[in-house]
Amino acid sequence: MKGLLTTGVGSLPKPPYLAQARNQAARKAIEPAALRQLELQATREWIQAQEELGIDVLVDGEQDRGDMATFFAEQMAGFTISGLVRSYGNRYYRKPIAVGPVGRRGPMTLEMYRYAQGLTPKPVKGMLTGPYTMLDWSFNEHYPTRAALCLELARALHEEAVDLERAGARYIQIDEPALSTRPEEMDLAIQAMGIVTAGLTAHTITHVCYGDFDAVYPGMLAMPVDQIDLEMANSNYDLLEHFRRHAFTKVLGLGVLDVHTHLVESVEQVKRGLRLTLELLPPERIYVDPDCGLKTRTVEEAKAKLTVMMEATRQVKAELGIT
Amino acid sequence: MITTVVGNYPKVPSLGGGPNLRRALSQFDEGRIAAEELGRVVAEATRDAIQEQVDAGIDIVTDGHIRWEDGQTYFARHLAGFHVNGLLRYFDSNTYFRQPVVEGPIGWTGPISVRDYEYAAGASSRPVKAVVTGPYTLAALSHADRPRAEVALELARALRQEILALQQAGCPLIQVDEPAALRARDEAPLVKQTLRELTSGVTAKLALYTYFGDVKGLAPDLFDLPFQVFGLDFVSGPANFDLLEGFPAGKELGAGLLDARNTKMESMEEIVSALRRISRFVPLDRVHLNPSCGLEFLPRANAHQKLLRLVEAARAAEQALS
Repeated sequence: MKGLLTTGVGSLPKPPYLAQARNQAARKAIEPAALRQLELQATREWIQAQEELGIDVLVDGEQDRGDMATFFAEQMAGFTISGLVRSYGNRYYRKPIAVGPVGRRGPMTLEMYRYAQGLTPKPVKGMLTGPYTMLDWSFNEHYPTRAALCLELARALHEEAVDLERAGARYIQIDEPALSTRPEEMDLAIQAMGIVTAGLTAHTITHVCYGDFDAVYPGMLAMPVDQIDLEMANSNYDLLEHFRRHAFTKVLGLGVLDVHTHLVESVEQVKRGLRLTLELLPPERIYVDPDCGLKTRTVEEAKAKLTVMMEATRQVKAELGIT
Repeated sequence: MITTVVGNYPKVPSLGGGPNLRRALSQFDEGRIAAEELGRVVAEATRDAIQEQVDAGIDIVTDGHIRWEDGQTYFARHLAGFHVNGLLRYFDSNTYFRQPVVEGPIGWTGPISVRDYEYAAGASSRPVKAVVTGPYTLAALSHADRPRAEVALELARALRQEILALQQAGCPLIQVDEPAALRARDEAPLVKQTLRELTSGVTAKLALYTYFGDVKGLAPDLFDLPFQVFGLDFVSGPANFDLLEGFPAGKELGAGLLDARNTKMESMEEIVSALRRISRFVPLDRVHLNPSCGLEFLPRANAHQKLLRLVEAARAAEQALS
């Protein structure tokens, strides 16, 4: 028997030296090339850490990304970046503004993908922010409708996905955390995802979070991807009740670590989540991972949480006779 | 025509300069500055936001809600019966608020916003309106183990005390915000009952603002509620244009015609032609022209541009349509 492969969702914490260097670079106190060296160093450290943990499908950890929409918009034609907007409390971010026809100037994630994959024999995922989320997190001054911008973004991201696949990516994840924001636009998100994944042979994944799950399930099963990755731990696996009412028909990315709390889960908690899920899905249709990107945790917290995830998965696999 | 805003205003400058509230808050969190120093910067940022509205030519300003963490927390953390919990997405936006949790009987224990109103009134050369998050919206965005109706009506009685306190302080216009009312057509009777309870015995001039949608299912009898001004969002809710038929003579319309959630600038023609459409139902001298909702979804520089365009369009429309 096979199954219960382990993976990451995307981001991993930036070590303090990199966080500091990013601040310095923002103030132009260090050269971009110096920052890049530190991003590569942090990526190396995370690839090694994931290998030591025994994770099956790795991520590069997005050590070169800040905001997941702005990272792409900054590299594309047709976007400028806004001034500061508050998201909550004292947290501010900059939003992309579509000011002209948007499109890819060239590869955006390829160099880092190649670098990370070159460090390990294990598969590293290609990681993209989905067209619907890019749309929803941007201002739009150019396109007459949200749909027009969304579909144009989808074409650009398709080119990026094709490049990743050609470079050897066997897993391509296209994140759509905004999917549940406006359930009435889910058809648009699905149509756009179809453009991104058209013709790909890689295993395709989308990650969805922050949701009013009632509003988007089971409709989200129409997303043209092989796997849907869901945060399950932070709702104490309540989503499984939805699966009992309407079968989950994709491969599941099963989030077993709450990324928004400092508390480290117990091995028993994670095993319970795995067992509950295994009542509904066979192990070969489950990838075990954190609820979401771990970038909001410290390096130590992230490693402690991933260690628990790996130990719980090892124990459950042993019980099931999975090697 | 009166020019005004709906409520909040970006707290920090887009490109540096001005009072550095962001830095002061993080220094306060790190224990590096005292509460008095933070208070001084907050006050300065509030004066700055008010002055920017006044200088732009806005007739009725707000304090920009510089002191508000979010529209729910600001009130809930001072009401009895609540504690404030973790982050939730605010409607379909990319911003968050802390969710109030009802843990006991809800009650008003003293003025919440009156001191802030008085500060703003003293700092502004133009009239200042106070804004109170409506009881239905506060109930809808809170977590409670009790029926929504019970929580909403208790909130209405508590917030009525706040409105009376603002009235006592001489506030010339008190605005109640009910965006959640547009998301629950099946609860229209509760929305109206709650708002009647909220306003009972109030003599101050009141405005009811809705945004993020249209008032289908609530209008026209919504307009019979004891408010003098009704604010509608014509950007997110273009159907509102068709719901103006039967708008009561003598009442005033808050016309949200500039998109407060997108940096794209409306042309003068767009705004004037929308006002022309509105003027068939509501005479322009009873229109408050404002953005579609609070401007804090925009960077400060873009919000300021919207204010300038709003005033410019109001003057142009008065010329073109008088």
